[in-house]
Amino acid sequence: MLTFLALTSVALLGIVPEQSQAIVIYTGWERHALVGSDIRLSCSFFSWRWTSEDVTFSWTYRPDGSRDAISIFHYTGGAAYLDNKGPFRDRLEFVGNPGRRDGSILLKNLELSDNGTFTCDAKNPPDIVGRPSSVRLLVFEKVPIQAGVITGAIIGVVLGLLLLIVVIYYLMRFLVARRVFSLSVSKHGKKKKEGSQQRQIKV
Amino acid sequence: MLMLAGIVVLHITTIILLLVAAIDNAWWVKDSVSADLWGKWELTNSNMWHYTNLKDYPEDYLQAVQATSVLACVFTILALFVFVAQLFTLPKGMRFTFTGILQIIACLCIMTGASIYTAKLHVNESSGGYGHCYILAWISFVLTFILALTYFILRKKKE
Repeated sequence: MLTFLALTSVALLGIVPEQSQAIVIYTGWERHALVGSDIRLSCSFFSWRWTSEDVTFSWTYRPDGSRDAISIFHYTGGAAYLDNKGPFRDRLEFVGNPGRRDGSILLKNLELSDNGTFTCDAKNPPDIVGRPSSVRLLVFEKVPIQAGVITGAIIGVVLGLLLLIVVIYYLMRFLVARRVFSLSVSKHGKKKKEGSQQRQIKV
Repeated sequence: MLMLAGIVVLHITTIILLLVAAIDNAWWVKDSVSADLWGKWELTNSNMWHYTNLKDYPEDYLQAVQATSVLACVFTILALFVFVAQLFTLPKGMRFTFTGILQIIACLCIMTGASIYTAKLHVNESSGGYGHCYILAWISFVLTFILALTYFILRKKKE
């Protein structure tokens, strides 16, 4: 039985090399960054085959609201080609390791106009059937406060203060009952004053 | 009994109005811009709303308005809890002074915040107007004031 299974799997694997299989590309979903900072956009892929020498990575950029995408990076034949005419000239750096299936790029000195969608397409011949994966870049001047944070802060402060008030109230009652303090509160005052007088006489 | 329910309902309404004024984003509204105390929503050319932080605002005044509006929310919620607690623990015939004090502090806070916003922000802008959150802030100032007075005057039933 086991040998039968082993033989079938070897036979299937033998059939497979003649066809190309799907390659799965991974990037992030959304990245947030501040103006002027650097950000690394990571891209890697999963393929059933060994990483070939003809592996290619290419990045394209589509600004927010635009329908056209421009190509900004291409790696092929062991060499990386960076954008030297478009919006990212002199701001792009290849920090990936194609041998380890990593095609990440580094964007330096971000500007507000860099908001947009970056698409990574990787090919590992003969595995070329795959869907390019996109990561959305959001550039902020200063990260704005979200409504949830404010609500959470208000609720947190209210609960904290409530706890404090309850603790102080019960502490005061405890201390007054133990006659550590002599408070003159309208109806309870007489007993407390007697108690403090007694202590004075003893002292 | 009815008055008690009415006061509690009014207090809860005030809390809700204050929370909406502090958190919702419509203190200053123009055609394609909606700004509040924390950020600004801008409508871009491609019909998408972008949330950005507030630039060109005087930093210290903005922080003062943010702090006072949050404090007003905190104090008025605390006043509600203290009111309910005092309903049970207060000796008969006494006034709800602690609740009244908390409520008047909340009233002062929101008054300070809304006044600073009126006087120092958006003074030179010609287009645009105040949004609903700004109006709610002033309405809740009136409501907190009335509630504070009520707590100072009200006495617990003697029987």
